[in-house]
Amino acid sequence: MATEFHNLQELRHSASLANKVFIQRDYSEGTTCRFQTKFPSELESRIELTLFEETVKTLNNFYAEAEKIGGQSYLEGCLACATAYLIFLCMETRYEKVLKKIAKYIQEQNEKIYAPRGLLITDPIERGMRVIEISIYEDRGSSGSSSGSSSVSGSTAR
Amino acid sequence: MPASGADSLKPSAFIPVCTAACLLVGSTSMFFVFTCPWLAVTICPAVPPCCAVLFLFVLANFTMATFMDAGVLPVAGEDEDKEDEFRAPLYKNVDVKGVQVRMKWCASCHFYRPPRCSHCSVCDHCVEDFDHHCPWVNNCIGRRNYRYFFLFLSSLTVHMIAVFTFGLVYVLHHVDDLWKLHCLITLVVISISGLFLIPVLGLTGFHLYLVSRGRTTNEQVTGKFQGGINPFSRGCCSNMEYLVCSPISPNYTSRTCKKTVILVQPPFLRPEVDRQMPVKIRDNGIQSLAIQNKQSSAGAVELSDIKQLKNPPPLPPKPDRGLLKSQVAVLDDLGHHTKSIIPVSIPTVPQLRPVLEAISRGSSPIPPEQLLKTSEQQGINKGSDLCSNTRGSPARGSHQASVPVSTPLQPSTVSSSLQLNSLTLNSRFLTLKHSSRNGSKSQLLSMNPEGLGSNSSPGIITTPSLLTNQCSSGNSKPSYNNLVRPSDPQFMVQRGAPPVSYHTHFMGLGTDGAVQRPPPHSYSPVFMGVARQSPQPRESTSRDPSPSLPGFLQRDSSPAYHGLITRDLQSQSIATRDIPPPCLVKRDLTSQGLQDNLRDLYPHDVSLPMSAAARYDNFSKTIMASIQERREQEERERMLRVSARSQVLYGPDVGIYDIPSRRSLPPDNIRPAGSRGPTPPAYGSREFLMSTGILGYGMRTSPLSSSSTSSLTRGPKTSSSPLQSSSSSLQSKGRSTSPAYCPPERHTQGPSSSTSTLPRLSSSAYPTPLYTSYATAKRSSLPFPSEGKESVTLGALK
Repeated sequence: MATEFHNLQELRHSASLANKVFIQRDYSEGTTCRFQTKFPSELESRIELTLFEETVKTLNNFYAEAEKIGGQSYLEGCLACATAYLIFLCMETRYEKVLKKIAKYIQEQNEKIYAPRGLLITDPIERGMRVIEISIYEDRGSSGSSSGSSSVSGSTAR
Repeated sequence: MPASGADSLKPSAFIPVCTAACLLVGSTSMFFVFTCPWLAVTICPAVPPCCAVLFLFVLANFTMATFMDAGVLPVAGEDEDKEDEFRAPLYKNVDVKGVQVRMKWCASCHFYRPPRCSHCSVCDHCVEDFDHHCPWVNNCIGRRNYRYFFLFLSSLTVHMIAVFTFGLVYVLHHVDDLWKLHCLITLVVISISGLFLIPVLGLTGFHLYLVSRGRTTNEQVTGKFQGGINPFSRGCCSNMEYLVCSPISPNYTSRTCKKTVILVQPPFLRPEVDRQMPVKIRDNGIQSLAIQNKQSSAGAVELSDIKQLKNPPPLPPKPDRGLLKSQVAVLDDLGHHTKSIIPVSIPTVPQLRPVLEAISRGSSPIPPEQLLKTSEQQGINKGSDLCSNTRGSPARGSHQASVPVSTPLQPSTVSSSLQLNSLTLNSRFLTLKHSSRNGSKSQLLSMNPEGLGSNSSPGIITTPSLLTNQCSSGNSKPSYNNLVRPSDPQFMVQRGAPPVSYHTHFMGLGTDGAVQRPPPHSYSPVFMGVARQSPQPRESTSRDPSPSLPGFLQRDSSPAYHGLITRDLQSQSIATRDIPPPCLVKRDLTSQGLQDNLRDLYPHDVSLPMSAAARYDNFSKTIMASIQERREQEERERMLRVSARSQVLYGPDVGIYDIPSRRSLPPDNIRPAGSRGPTPPAYGSREFLMSTGILGYGMRTSPLSSSSTSSLTRGPKTSSSPLQSSSSSLQSKGRSTSPAYCPPERHTQGPSSSTSTLPRLSSSAYPTPLYTSYATAKRSSLPFPSEGKESVTLGALK
């Protein structure tokens, strides 16, 4: 299964990693995969609450769909048993399919929403589904100054 | 037998699996060759094909159980555990469907284990929904392959019953030709299958029971839900359904990563935020500081200092803007106090209360209520902000180093300002920890006595006298980048928010050196507790004081001033953390290094202005004495309680989900809520783990340490030799938490260890051969010997 690995491209206006925020798992409903929707304070000045919440909620929905016990998963199990599990060599499980969808969604979110704000979401699967890692980048050119000035310099740089 | 090649592959680990495979394949082949032809002819031609299909199913499940990844969680990256490294508690509580479940910190994998996750010491990794490590398949059984293991067991049972039955029929029909080859072989086959049928049948029944109750073997053996509710159970039928039909979770470790490039390019969009605020506040802070400076009496502050403060030199690394903001906010909130201390994030208010009370009883210039109030208001919130803000790259840490202190302005306060010494403890500690780790040693500096907002420099405690000293003498030189110096313009918080200073009274280690240091084992409720409390409500598992830390040296040596040195201080990271009483950053922070500075932080500072110093010395002594007393008392009480409770450690924990090694856990609830235990590298702390490792444990001084230490310690990665009784018990690194799975028979066997480890086993006899070898092999790593003796026995048993 391929997952996407985000790389930061160094450009002339390079940004540097300033901080990382980790969105922890929400275990209130057992061990099913859910992430907390609590808005971390570090992101308060970087992204709107609604956008963040929407991202996390969508991810939670994806995972819920992946882990749903229903017709398809039952069928998969039976088929696997019947073929002595050889089916796994050729077929992709439902979970993996959803993971691909999630990876695509995260990339899209990164490109459209997070990267323009100097943030980057790392796919939780790379962290063992324990956390959603959000990297916060700062404009290297304005390091050392307040956030206000950095944005100012940012805009001037543009 | 594979040669003893790969480091991770031990030849002995393959013996059971090879034996099992050989027996299975061999016996069944014999059966098919020698017995089945007759069966097909005599009984039914369908018998061999059915048996073959069944056997194929057994093999398939056996293969899946053997080779499938059980749900291994990859080790957490550096960045993730940064702030948790040394100060985080060993346990973190989480609520699962209304039941409190405890997540334990895994020292090997560097994260808090999710519920039901456990670290397998044989394989040395954490496994999700860990069941046990099966020697017969030489693999962990966890979330992803439990179903295959269960199906393997069930199908094997059926297969063995079939083989046994048909073989018996064959033999009974050939009683006269018993010595013929066919008969002999069939006899051998049925004896093997009959012999192994009993344990396998027992094990299958056991797992059937587990599935119906929704438990893992680990949980059953450790008795987690013996009397309480299992939040992970969905009901008998749903559990069965989940077992068979649930989707297979993905493999976390071996994933192919397709790299995609995402451009993160400034300028960045920002949500609507008032950006002018920080700057303004900073100015205000500076001005107020200036005003205060002017107001202060004995101030040795020079006006130039104030002016300089207004133009803080640029910080080397980038500032923590979030932190800055919060600091600024704090400052803003607190206003400007000439004499008040603005305790920022003081997490352990409960611990501070006694001190506060003492202070109020004493002659405290600062109203305790104010202190409390301010601390409660801001401390926790700001602390968490600050704390979280301090996560981050090393760069920031070093940056913090330069920010250190807004001490400079203390000078102004001199006399009254002494109080303002910044005790930016608490969450600062985390910051401290983090930043110190990154080499920002400058945190030690005393903070601005005026109670400027807390800056990123964590835990700089300054005694009033010291501050005064600094102010007056003005020769304090930062030992590290921009360390505090009264006259050093850089002291001004780079971020604009002056560091929050804690109430001086706490710091009040008299400058005359008469201040008593708390004993190594004890911790200062004021500082330590505060410092160690994370702003985020981490679970209050307290850690035992660890006297063995080298850090104690520092504490011991500097009675008067023990700065809350950032962790990074040289190699004394742990020491710094454990600085007991708040100390003023010694003015003379020269380049000798912080450690030296600490030592130098003796009260006998020369240039103390007498008036201020004398005044503070007096009541600081009183205060410190009372603090000391209280600390010792608490310590004593705790010890007593712990030792008393250690006896009842093994009682079932009703309704509380525990990690496997729960039994060995010390009674967590001994500690006051919210307390994280004594400062100095506590037994259970990761930093302790890092610094001293097992050695520290060897010197257990508290009864608590002797009991169930394994749960507390996040021991370093040391090899677990069975004979390292205490050590092995102390090892928390995965090993101790590997499934404390002992076969039931052990229960009857060994005196201490087995009983201690298998209190929960019900009387029913479980099939054991499968687990026998496992138990034997794992004996050394059993986490349960909570008492030294037991662990010794355990080792001996091994």
